[in-house]
Parts: sequence; C-alpha cells; structure tokens
Amino acid sequence: MRLDDVVGQTETIERLKSYVKSRNLPHLLFSGPPGVGKTATAVSIAKELFADSWRENFTELNASDERGIDVVRTKIKNFAKTSPIGGADFKIIFLDEADALTSDAQAALRRTMERYTNNCRFILSCNYSSKIIEPIQSRCAVYRFRPLSDDAVAERVLFVASNEGIEVSTDGMDAIKYVAQGDMRKAINALQAASLVDNIVHKDTIYKITATARPEQITDLIDTALSGNFIAARKLLDELLLDQGLSGEDVVGQIYRAMLNISISQEKMVELIDVIGEVDFRIAEGANERIQLEALIAHFVLKGGN
Amino acid sequence: MTIPKEWAEKYRPKSLTDVVGNLTATKQLRSWAEKWINGAPEQKAVLLHGPAGVGKTSTAHALATDMEWEVIELNASDQRTADAIERIAGSASRMGTLVGMESKRLIVLDEADNLHGTSDRGGAQAIGNIIRSTGQPIILIANDAYGIPSSVRSNVLEIKFNALQTRSIIPALKQIAQKEGVMYGAGIIEKIAENADGDMRSAINDLQAVAVGRSEINIEDIATAERDNKDSIFKVMERMFKGTDAKAALEATYNLDESPEDLIHWIDENLPIQYAGEDEGMITGPIRKGYEYISRADLFLGRVKKRQNYIMWRYASVLMTCGTVVSKAQPKRGFVKFNPPSLWRRMGQLKARRNMRNNIAAKIADHCHESMRYAGTDIASIYSVLLEDRDYAPAVVAELQLDLDELAFMAGASKVTKKLQKIYDDAQELRKEKIETEVTFFKVKEKQKINEDQKQTRLADVINNKGKGSEEKNGNNEPIKENNKREEITKKPQKTLFDF
Repeated sequence: MRLDDVVGQTETIERLKSYVKSRNLPHLLFSGPPGVGKTATAVSIAKELFADSWRENFTELNASDERGIDVVRTKIKNFAKTSPIGGADFKIIFLDEADALTSDAQAALRRTMERYTNNCRFILSCNYSSKIIEPIQSRCAVYRFRPLSDDAVAERVLFVASNEGIEVSTDGMDAIKYVAQGDMRKAINALQAASLVDNIVHKDTIYKITATARPEQITDLIDTALSGNFIAARKLLDELLLDQGLSGEDVVGQIYRAMLNISISQEKMVELIDVIGEVDFRIAEGANERIQLEALIAHFVLKGGN
Repeated sequence: MTIPKEWAEKYRPKSLTDVVGNLTATKQLRSWAEKWINGAPEQKAVLLHGPAGVGKTSTAHALATDMEWEVIELNASDQRTADAIERIAGSASRMGTLVGMESKRLIVLDEADNLHGTSDRGGAQAIGNIIRSTGQPIILIANDAYGIPSSVRSNVLEIKFNALQTRSIIPALKQIAQKEGVMYGAGIIEKIAENADGDMRSAINDLQAVAVGRSEINIEDIATAERDNKDSIFKVMERMFKGTDAKAALEATYNLDESPEDLIHWIDENLPIQYAGEDEGMITGPIRKGYEYISRADLFLGRVKKRQNYIMWRYASVLMTCGTVVSKAQPKRGFVKFNPPSLWRRMGQLKARRNMRNNIAAKIADHCHESMRYAGTDIASIYSVLLEDRDYAPAVVAELQLDLDELAFMAGASKVTKKLQKIYDDAQELRKEKIETEVTFFKVKEKQKINEDQKQTRLADVINNKGKGSEEKNGNNEPIKENNKREEITKKPQKTLFDF
C-alpha cells in the first residue's frame, strides 16, 4: 500500500506526497466518513517515510478504545517523548477516531503536540472536524477526505481484482457498489469474501455473503405495500426475514436507502422516513423485528392509499 | 541531516516585541512584569485568556526571555492534582523569596481552564493557594476565563487576547515565507490568512502545509480544508429554506463538515425568520410544521447520544433537512440573511451563570450538610429571600462566605449596587469579629476534619484577608496572637447562625 494507491482524494494525496518527499510533516487532521482512506493514508505515509523501520516509528491508537485523559497523559506522552528509531527523523502517532476522545483528553493533548515536535508528529482522524476542539485544529493541517464516488470504488475494486486474479462480472460490480455505499473497506471485504466462494464474482454471491437483500426485492416490497396490498407485502417481507435470514436492522436500513428514489410526494417520503427511524430504534431496543416491520409496512399501505 | 521543524514552533516569538497583534495585552503584561523588579506586586498572578492560536503561551514564554526569568510550566498534559501542583509549582513559588536572590522564576499554568474533575482533584484549590502565597510571578493561561473558578479569578489580573486581524497575519506570513526561501504568488498569503480566522498558529501551519517541498506557491495549491466553512453551510441553508428539492438538500449536507448535532442549531436559529409571514410575530404553517420535523430530528439525536447508536443520525439528518424543505408550500421571495446559532454565542454566558450557581450551591451544601443538588434546587431560594432582609443579609453572606459577585447573583441584581456593597462590607466585619471570638474562646475545641480541604482553604482565606485587622486590634495581647497563628491551619468557623 502506497500513497498512490489511495483513490478519490487526488489533491490531498498530491500534497501529502510532497511532505514525504521533503521528509517534513506537519501535524495532520484527516476528517471524513468511514472507508474513504484516512487510515490507509496515514499508514502509507509512515511506510514511505520510514521504509523498513516504519513499525517501530508508527503507533496507532484507536481513540474510541482508549479515550480517557489518562491515556493521553501516560501512553501517548511517553511515546511522544522517546526518540525515533533506526535513523528516522521523527515518529508518527496516529490517533484514529480522535473525535471519540473526551474534550478533557483532547485538551491534555495540546501541549504534548507542541513540545515534542522534534521527536514526533501526530496524525488525527475523525468523522467531523467540528468534534475536535479548536486548539487542536489550530495545531494541525486539516485535510478533508471526500466520500468516494461509485466510480472510484469500482476503479479500485478492479485493480485489486486483477492483481489477485479475480474476475468481476458487471452485475457483480453493481452489487459491490450498492453494498459499499462509498466505503472502500466494505467493497474490498466483499470482494475478498466473494472470491473465496467463486473465481468469478456475481451479484448473488455478493448479496449473499454481505447479508444484503437484492435492491429490487426491497423496491418490490415497498411498491407492493404502497399499492395497498398488505398481505402480499408481508409475504415478501417473510421471504427476506425467514427464508434469506436477513436481520431486521439490515432490512430497515435498505428500505431507508430506497426511500430517496421512490415515487411518492416528498412530504410523504419524509413522514415515512420518520416512521422507519422509529422502527429502527425500536428494533435496536430489542423489539420484535417482524412485528415492527409489519407495522412499518402498514404505514406504507396507508400512505400509498390516499 | 537537520531535523525538520514545525514552523509554528520555529517562529514562535522570542521577545514580546515579536508578538503579533494584541498590543494592549502585551503592554499590560509587560507593566505587570516590571512591577516584580521591586518586589511582589499586589496581584501576583495574571490570567491570559482568549481564543486558540493568538499567542497566549508564546507571549508568556517571550516575557520570561525578556525578563531573563526561568520558566516552570505545568499544562494539561501533566497530571495536576493538588499534590502535583503543590510539589512542582508550589515549591517553585516559594524559592527565591530569600533576600539576595534576584532572578525570578515564572510559573506558567497553561490550559488552566481544563482541570479535570477527577484526575486533577483538588487542583483548583491548590492553584488558589499558590497564588496567594507565592513569592514568584505566575501566569495562568486559558481559552475560557469562565472556566477558571471564581475563587481563583478574584485574585488575578485578567488580560484578554483577541483573535488577530487578517491584515496583521499577512505580513507575518510573508516574513516566514521569505525566511524559508519560498516564493509566493498573488493572493495566496491573503487567502491563507483569511482562512485562519484570526488564528495565527493555524495560519502558519497552513502556510507550511502548502509550502513543504515547493519553492514557489500559488493560490490554487491550497489543498487543506477551509478552516471556516461558513460558505458551505450557507449553501446548505439556501437549499433547505429556498429550495424545493428535498433530496438535493440532503445531498448538500454530505459534503458538509458539520455533524447533525451542530446543523440542527443552524436550522433552529433561522427557521422562524426564514418562514415568517407578513407579521413577524405570527406563527405560520411552515414554522409550525418545520418545528415538528426538527423536534423529531432532535429526538433521534438524543437517541444517538444516549445509546451511541450513530445509525440514528441518518434519520435526524433527513428529518431536519428534508423536513425543512417540505414544510413550506413554496419558497418565499426575497433574500433574508442566514444567521449562525445565537445559542453558541450565549454559551459562554450560560456557562458563567452555571458555574456561579454551582459555586453557590456548593457553599450552601457545605453549610447545611446537604447535597449540592438539593442545596441548589431547594435551599438556595430560601437564602435569596433572607438576603432581601437588610438585617439578616450580612449574616447570611458571612456564614456562607459569599463573594460580592455571588451575593449580586443571589439577590438577582445585574450589577453590584451600593446597597449590596454595604451588605458585603458588613458581612466582612461580622466575619472578622466572629473569627476573633472563636479564636479567643473556642481555641481548644478543635474539630476533626475529614477530607475537607475546601473549608481549610476558606478559613485560610478569611484569616489571610483579615489577619492584619485582627493583629492591630489585638496588638497588645500577645497570647491571643499566638493562638491565632496556631489555629489558622486547623480550625474552621463555628456554624450556628443559619444551620437550618
């Protein structure tokens, strides 16, 4: 994995490459949705800067596991204090999901970032930079990672597939794009898992291994319900839940995704999404998923029937 | 090979004259420092407060260099319990008070508004103690002055740092670029300075970010994110309030670096203005509907918070953005300006009031042996009523050891009036008398204190403040004075007057 392999973030990567070339790195803050290449980029920087000794000079802490003030005052500070190894100019501390750090912990990080710049640089990643306190943002060069387009996902999937000698059919690729939703991690995982089943990747394998209903099954369910036929819609639902063994939460999630593209008035769409959210919440709280989904379908029937 | 350095570190001002902007603040600081040449001034500590990256820490260190003072720094990366503070800063503060030692030690307590409740237990008290007893200059640094306990604030000279003007950032950046041998094209320095929004450090960082590995930089080279993303949020607002396409409004939020938790405040602020009818005071259909949607959205945000279930954010997003779009029948003509959430502006004030309320509740709780919560909700109002009675008031103030601000707060006054000042002065008299009486007559009855550092400090407060007076009065009475000293540390005021 090298910086050149990160797709869909061209400008950012160009800039980061010149840091590596000049062997000079400011503190960095990467913000963006999951699976767009923040961690991959951080690791690539370390690999390209430190070559063989990158493991010794790169520490990754997942802030959502170790989020308290004590970690910052002991573990991080100690790593920052000690000298780099193997002729490297500095070390890198990568704080993944830094927005999970409590604000006290973030505050404790500030002076550490400044005092040990001779030894060490920080790379922080987060979903929203607004969750990182101002004083830390002010100490970092902030790079925003954009959500990946389906094309960017496809490009990378094809690259990996050809490297691994896997063939991906056209409908297989569509399925990967649907499942990934712009998250490269999901796309590659799906590809890898599917390739273990069959050397040619088809859509059915992708949907099966990712426990996803085919998109047309979902639209079929919604259309049937909106047309007013509750019993038929419930049968379709049972197919998903009972025959295919999908989880209620996954089905709700897919119904949500389909909502933005169905042909009802915008107002009804918003109202239905409100109900979907409610059902999602109840299922998450432990309610019976079949009953909740049936109730959801009933709402669709009412909304469809004017 | 030389170790590459962060420019923000490399170009930290070495002397006060190098500090960019905030002239009044640096002048104030310098004159405070110069007082130390002739012994300790009245205010032995200063508090530098202001937004990030404007040079508070740099100024403190530059001052030390100018004055040739040694620096002892304690910041949030250190554990700051009472013990730790006392060990490091406390011992430093007493050194060099011996005759003949000329050079001072500057104690810098950085990030003083970030004392951690449990990890830094007792830290605030310890800082208060050190400030009172120090023989060395102390600088406290904070983003938020209200984050400093009022007991500490009342003993420091506050110096405010403001966000820098873009036009004072520009020449500084140009100077750095020249020193680093970087050629700059038209407009890029100005753009970086503007993006920084008054934060010098982030401006330097952005300059370095764009300049590393280049010998010439141009405006299109800027790849770092805009620090101030007001532009993009205004576009989203436009889509929501002026547009009719719900999906487009939702998609516009995807590129926004603003969580739904923040976005909802933007919508809340602007909804009633954007959807107002002819008569501004009237509630229109769209406003009512819009609030219905954002209140549902808010419910989902609450669920995210409670369960850490971030999936729920998507429903919140749809309800607030698409909901806002569909609440109106058709877009209103004419442009009405979008405003940033006023709630954020008021947050500082709210925090100050909350701190004040908590401090008062703590004093009442202490006095009445009740929980802070109960003291705040149920007892505080009774004391407020008592404060209305001119005869009772001084005793209440004396017993609870309220300071002047707290008295004004409890009396519901917006500022300190003459009447309140009089009550306060009377209370100080009462306290003075009380302590003298206690010390004289109850000196043997030492109460055992269990882990009540707080009270100990307060008594010390009282005695430190009033010590002079009592010595004068008892000037001819040697034994009492002796006792007075011995009692200082261990005895606490007797409580009888208002023990409910």
